[in-house]
Amino acid sequence: MKRQFLVGLLLSAVAAVGVSACGSSSSGTTSGGSSGGSVANLSGAGSTLVSPLVSQWVTPYQQKNHVVITYGAVGSGTGIQSITSRIVSFGASDAPLTSSQATACKSCLEIPWALAATDVAYNVKGVSSGLHFTGPVLADIWMGKITSWNDPQIQKLNPGVKLPDTKIVPVHRTDGSGDTYAFTSYLSKVSPQFSSSVGVATSVNWPGGIGGKGNSGVGGVLQSTNGAIAYIAIAYVLDNKFDYALVQNAAGKFPTPSVKSIAAAAASVTSPPTTGTSGISLVDPPASEPNAYPISTFTYVLVPTSNKSGVGPALKKFIGWAITDGQKYGPDLDFAPLPSAVVSADQQVLQKIK
Amino acid sequence: MITTPPPPEVSGHSPFAVRVKLSDRLGERGLKVLTGLAALVTAALIVWIAYTVFDRASPAIGKFGLAFIGHKVWNPVVGHFGAASFLYGTAVSSALALLVATPLAVAISIYLTELAPNFLRIPMGILVELLAAIPSVILGLWGILVFGPILGNHIEPFLKSFLGWLPLFSGSPSSYGMLNAALILTIMILPIITSVTREVLQRTPTASKEAALALGATRWEMIRMVVLPTARPGIVGAVLLGFGRGIGEAVAVSMVIGNQPQIKASFFQPMATMAGQIADEFSSANPGTWQSSLIYLAAILLIFSALANIAARLVVRHTTVK
Repeated sequence: MKRQFLVGLLLSAVAAVGVSACGSSSSGTTSGGSSGGSVANLSGAGSTLVSPLVSQWVTPYQQKNHVVITYGAVGSGTGIQSITSRIVSFGASDAPLTSSQATACKSCLEIPWALAATDVAYNVKGVSSGLHFTGPVLADIWMGKITSWNDPQIQKLNPGVKLPDTKIVPVHRTDGSGDTYAFTSYLSKVSPQFSSSVGVATSVNWPGGIGGKGNSGVGGVLQSTNGAIAYIAIAYVLDNKFDYALVQNAAGKFPTPSVKSIAAAAASVTSPPTTGTSGISLVDPPASEPNAYPISTFTYVLVPTSNKSGVGPALKKFIGWAITDGQKYGPDLDFAPLPSAVVSADQQVLQKIK
Repeated sequence: MITTPPPPEVSGHSPFAVRVKLSDRLGERGLKVLTGLAALVTAALIVWIAYTVFDRASPAIGKFGLAFIGHKVWNPVVGHFGAASFLYGTAVSSALALLVATPLAVAISIYLTELAPNFLRIPMGILVELLAAIPSVILGLWGILVFGPILGNHIEPFLKSFLGWLPLFSGSPSSYGMLNAALILTIMILPIITSVTREVLQRTPTASKEAALALGATRWEMIRMVVLPTARPGIVGAVLLGFGRGIGEAVAVSMVIGNQPQIKASFFQPMATMAGQIADEFSSANPGTWQSSLIYLAAILLIFSALANIAARLVVRHTTVK
């Protein structure tokens, strides 16, 4: 019995050594294959909003460049923390860094690398898709001031639509999210009261309503609650065919949420900053863009200015590719391509990476 | 006639004073060391985790102090954080779950130990314990997809029509809220309370039970006068264990409770629990006061959970050591 046990132990030890040897030899080929000075691994962590797009980028980019990119969709907050402590090569955040975060990160650059939008979806028995809303009305709904669907303010925007007196249940995200950031930015811009009582962040103190975790959690609440209204990423709304709202923009129109209307909003950004230390706000674009969708948001990649040897050029190359060739993977996932003004500004900022 | 074997001949080497092999001696020593290390690692892990939690919570503890426990608002935008709404949500959801689960568990245990036909006891016992095998996220999914709509469309309006005058059942019925969370928690803590209660009930001295029956007591009178009073401390211990389990449950509860940090009387309203809030917000909480406040919540949860578990063990041990 003892001998059998010893033999078994020996065999498992041999197997363990064998597996680890195989593992190290496969990673050995990727790191050994590139010429001196270039880097084998780029690791990133952060926003879940941009994660589907990053997944689309990784495979084609890795094939053409000898580099392995791993991305962990752990949430913007953890992403910021990870890059601050330099345990990853790049971070991703839906909200620009606050001044204290920027100080802690020690000269990190924030570069907008994708363009997404948030929509308002609802589930009311007897009402079909396409109800008209304005920003101030939406703000009042989420502040709990407008409580039923047949409120005169909603009826006024939708003459001829029969609205039931169902109670409105506003739904929000409980986990920190770029969609919350975009939506609260928009509501704060169009409603001074919302700005002072709730404010802008990836996670805020909502006055009421129900919270769901992630787009799927919010979608679940929406589908099972009659009278619910929620803000969700556009891709999710369109994929699941929820009834969605048409929100009035500054030009007085009610644009359909689409890659086209998001791109129109982005076109309003004519001179983006080139410092790499500030974000770009895209919500409620001016009336000069009549077809602009009002609730769009940039999402940012966070990169340190100085990096370990070889990492800087690899990051520059990857991000440079992502903001140009990589953008073509966006529209299928309902990300609009970055406007050219932002791309050139980004390319200037990229030069700062060492 | 019983004969004892003759004593072994005492010579220079008795059969038992054989030279112990070196490998056996080393093996025994090694066994002691290895198992001792395993025990030490476990104890060290608990100390390490507790230390990390309190260490990371200390910025928030330093900033807010004990006022954190009474503060109702949780506002990451302005940096005001307080545990009160989560303490309330955790306490109410666990208490309500215990209120429903305990009578149910005692009833099941009485049936399985005293009243069920013999062939039924083991299979039914297994079925009840299988309830504990359901992963928490699946219970949460069931709560959202099946149970929530039944609650919101049928059960809650029914309760409201009869008991709507009570503040506990006021407001509009909803699929997501405190009642849904409490009932899902009931399902989760039922197996543990039932299994401990069953064990405790089985330990009732047969002599006392037979004495009661011999004196003319009915089955119910025997259970009421002998079994339950003897088992009471053990049931208390089981309830405490269930409580400890309930307050730590994050996944299933956060899927159905509605996640709105607020203190409201009505069970139909959405609320939030400590464990649920930590699970939801932690990945996106910005480092600094926000993250530290979440860890402060975790520290409070850790203290309560540890207290509940220790109390449970003390009470259960007290009854079985008798």
